[in-house]
Amino acid sequence: MIGFFTEILSSYGNVIDLCLLNILLAYGVWLALSGNMFTLGTGGFMALGAYGSVFLTTQLGVPFGVAVLVGGLLAGVAALVIGIPVLRLRGDYFMLATFAFTEVIRVIALNWESVTGGAIGIVGIPRYTETWQLALLAVVAVYSAYALRSSYFGRSIAAIRQDDVMSQTMGINVLAHRLTLFGASAFVCGIAGALAAHLNFFIGPTDFGLLRSVDALSYPILGGFNALFGPMVGAIFTTLLPEFLRFSSQWREILMGLLVILVVLYLPGGAMSLLQGNRLARIFKRQSAEQRSFKQRAES
Amino acid sequence: MEGFAQQIVNGLSIGSIYAVFAIGCTLIFGVLNIINLAQGAFLMVGACAGLEAARLGFPLPVALLVAAVGGGILGALSEQFMFRPLRKAGGHRWMGLVASLALARLLVGVAQEIFGTEVQAYPPSSISTIIWQIGGVRIQALQVIIILAALLLMLLFAFILQRTSIGRAIRTVAFSEDVAQIVGVRVESATLVTFFIAGALAGAAGLLLGVLFNVVSPFMGDSALVKGLTVMILGGLGNIPGAVAGGFLLGLLEVFSIAYVSSAFRDAIGFGLIFLILLVKPTGLFSGFEERRA
Repeated sequence: MIGFFTEILSSYGNVIDLCLLNILLAYGVWLALSGNMFTLGTGGFMALGAYGSVFLTTQLGVPFGVAVLVGGLLAGVAALVIGIPVLRLRGDYFMLATFAFTEVIRVIALNWESVTGGAIGIVGIPRYTETWQLALLAVVAVYSAYALRSSYFGRSIAAIRQDDVMSQTMGINVLAHRLTLFGASAFVCGIAGALAAHLNFFIGPTDFGLLRSVDALSYPILGGFNALFGPMVGAIFTTLLPEFLRFSSQWREILMGLLVILVVLYLPGGAMSLLQGNRLARIFKRQSAEQRSFKQRAES
Repeated sequence: MEGFAQQIVNGLSIGSIYAVFAIGCTLIFGVLNIINLAQGAFLMVGACAGLEAARLGFPLPVALLVAAVGGGILGALSEQFMFRPLRKAGGHRWMGLVASLALARLLVGVAQEIFGTEVQAYPPSSISTIIWQIGGVRIQALQVIIILAALLLMLLFAFILQRTSIGRAIRTVAFSEDVAQIVGVRVESATLVTFFIAGALAGAAGLLLGVLFNVVSPFMGDSALVKGLTVMILGGLGNIPGAVAGGFLLGLLEVFSIAYVSSAFRDAIGFGLIFLILLVKPTGLFSGFEERRA
């Protein structure tokens, strides 16, 4: 039995690592989405975490754990800096600003050659990330999401998601809540970026562009962001599908695009909404009533 | 001084293309209050279609028409089969963003499958290489043609929006969908035409961009989308005169930053501007004389 597991690990180790990493990322994005923040900044935050931590481990010899933490904090601080001005604005400005942020980071990564290696990137990064670390963090992420949903803070977030003006009237500090969530989301994405950098031997500016942000967004949306396990299901599904189907990279893009459009059109609650009749799902989908009323207010 | 004039010519030619593209993006926002992130992909499809037409030996104006119609049809299709069902379903506003990003991804994949992933160029015979020398300033005939074509497109667009019945319908829907319905405007056909116009402007801008740099690739949509969004923010979301002014402004700023600062941070200038505007004046630089959306 143990032999069987080690065999699976050795042959599918990379895929499993990738799955776990994407689960972490999916919950990072979910944090922002749960506060009604459509973030395209994931790629930028991952880049901050990745380049920051690699600089610390390879150039300064800082221990891996500390470097990952600092990478995450760097991304979190960046999120606060963007968030304070931009979160005051309503509408699509937040999305546009995070979009711009990711591109700024990409341009900096491309040009700041002494730290980022420019267009060539950084090669030969030591592989410090272990599968068990990723698994542990993925579990922590799911548990944190669970704890958040049942906490006072989580209920405030749910209220903000339904109607931010009303929440403000009831005495919830909307800006502070959103800022906290956005910072936490960036922190998780930064950590994921740092772990990804020490997993792949190589990072370059093209790894963390807009496509990365879009990919990360599609995890919770495909899986269903109202369900606790939605982001996880979306991340695993999206990671495994191309691995098993072995398409060319073009066909992967076409298929993924089509899939996301179809899900958005015909299954807006994500894959987890298929389980709606299921008792297990009902336990984890306490928010389905909220989701319905939330649908009616498309504007905000 | 000659260098300065040279940069102005270069900036105006690239800026006119940004303006054409951004008008389409901002029109959709002005009318329907959504941002279509697939506009960049429409631009790319227009560029590819135009290139294909030029390769078949058609002259540039015909290629421009092909690019515009191709982009327009894609835009109309996306409205009919994606954005409208989404609005009807009443889903959350970000579902439209996700769907348009996915559509862009799909189109880039299809373009790669058809055209290959490599950068392509126009056949030399289809592009004019005449260069005029006016007092030390080199003006390519191509730049002049592009600026003229862009201005013509903008005039045509202004005429449609201001003087035709469909233009009036679009402006009514932009004012309020409910009011439009009450006074008997066919909202559905107005939104369809809106998307067609926006797609056509994107496709035409794609052709002009491809001709100006003589580069067409499946990946040109992403960076173009970034420019389009930057111009939208510069001009104010939904503000069409603002988009025209913002387009020229961004083109000039980019060219001057390459000439006098560094080429490396050309793109960073645009993003820096986005942040600055969002911080200082989120309604856009030109909100003072805004006509109030579309």
